[in-house]
Amino acid sequence: MNDGANYQELSRRYGFAPKPESASRLTQLVARQDADLDEIAKVIDKDPSLRARLLRVANPDAENEAEYAIETVEDALMRNGMGCVLVLAMSTPLSQALVKTFQTMLSLKLESVDPRAVTPLTGEHLLCTIGFSGKVVGHVFLRMSIDAGRSIAAGIIGANAEELNDPNEIRDVAGELLNIMTGNFKSNLCDAGLECKLSPPDVRSTGDFSASASRGSSIEHMAFRSGGIQLFVDVTANPWSGD
Amino acid sequence: MATKILSVDDSRTIRMIVGRTFKPYECQVCEAGNGEEGLAAAAREKPDLIILDVTMPVMDGVTMLSKLKEDPELKTIPVIMLTAESGRENVLQIAKLGVRDYLVKPFKEDQLIEKAGRIVPLAKRPAA
Repeated sequence: MNDGANYQELSRRYGFAPKPESASRLTQLVARQDADLDEIAKVIDKDPSLRARLLRVANPDAENEAEYAIETVEDALMRNGMGCVLVLAMSTPLSQALVKTFQTMLSLKLESVDPRAVTPLTGEHLLCTIGFSGKVVGHVFLRMSIDAGRSIAAGIIGANAEELNDPNEIRDVAGELLNIMTGNFKSNLCDAGLECKLSPPDVRSTGDFSASASRGSSIEHMAFRSGGIQLFVDVTANPWSGD
Repeated sequence: MATKILSVDDSRTIRMIVGRTFKPYECQVCEAGNGEEGLAAAAREKPDLIILDVTMPVMDGVTMLSKLKEDPELKTIPVIMLTAESGRENVLQIAKLGVRDYLVKPFKEDQLIEKAGRIVPLAKRPAA
């Protein structure tokens, strides 16, 4: 039995959930380096959510769709290159892992929302960062208000939010949430041949954060909401800039 | 006699969840924060089951598993991997080293009980 068949057999035995197909396919195409833009465009065009997100990534300054200067998948790919495809491919498993984590561990239904439609975080808030390096280089940032961090930590630990005053406990939960999300997307990257390593999560309070893409990188901003909790996720990635 | 379970994870949150998961059962849960501490705890406590993370500082879970399997005293202790990483190479390498089961984070506490219950006896504690 070859490795692929062995892995499928083990996935069945261990009860692994299937991985998002379009994201896996996209990652494989990016990993090939010589992938045809038409082939990539076909995969994205088949998935309305990927298409909408690609156009949002390609029009970072637009407030809404009416302001989009880049309106087609082909134009977005021509102008932004593989970097934006990679962040799309990465942020799909990230986003799914985040939603699943909240559903599984907190019984909370997290809804993905347009980050431009959400009130941004102001003042002191919690910033969790994990870097990845290897055949792809970048960062994943998870941000939330201190109150949201406390409420999430209380839910996971099974404590009363008002009694949870140890900042280390809140930080450990936030860091583990990001660990779970990034572990899922790292598997996706490695399976496609984009081997990379993750840094340990860095969790801190900050009043000053701005995620921006460095030269050659792409960035995707995402936001999620459930009740009074708002979460912001930013992903930056640059393929082939590493080892 | 209580079933002895060793939870090896660098996250205090996960160790706490594992401890809470087995609280209703006749189990004694001990903890370690990385693979090196995990090996020492396994040698000291001789647990009936080890629940092991992959990515940890100092010594990762794959290295700990490989050292565990090289030790004649410890190699028969069953291991369940509990990790967010389910990439093909990791899973194949870990399966080759020998684990009884694999649970991908995020997980529900009853999934862990179900998998552990297939390996070690889990008797409910009598109501207080």
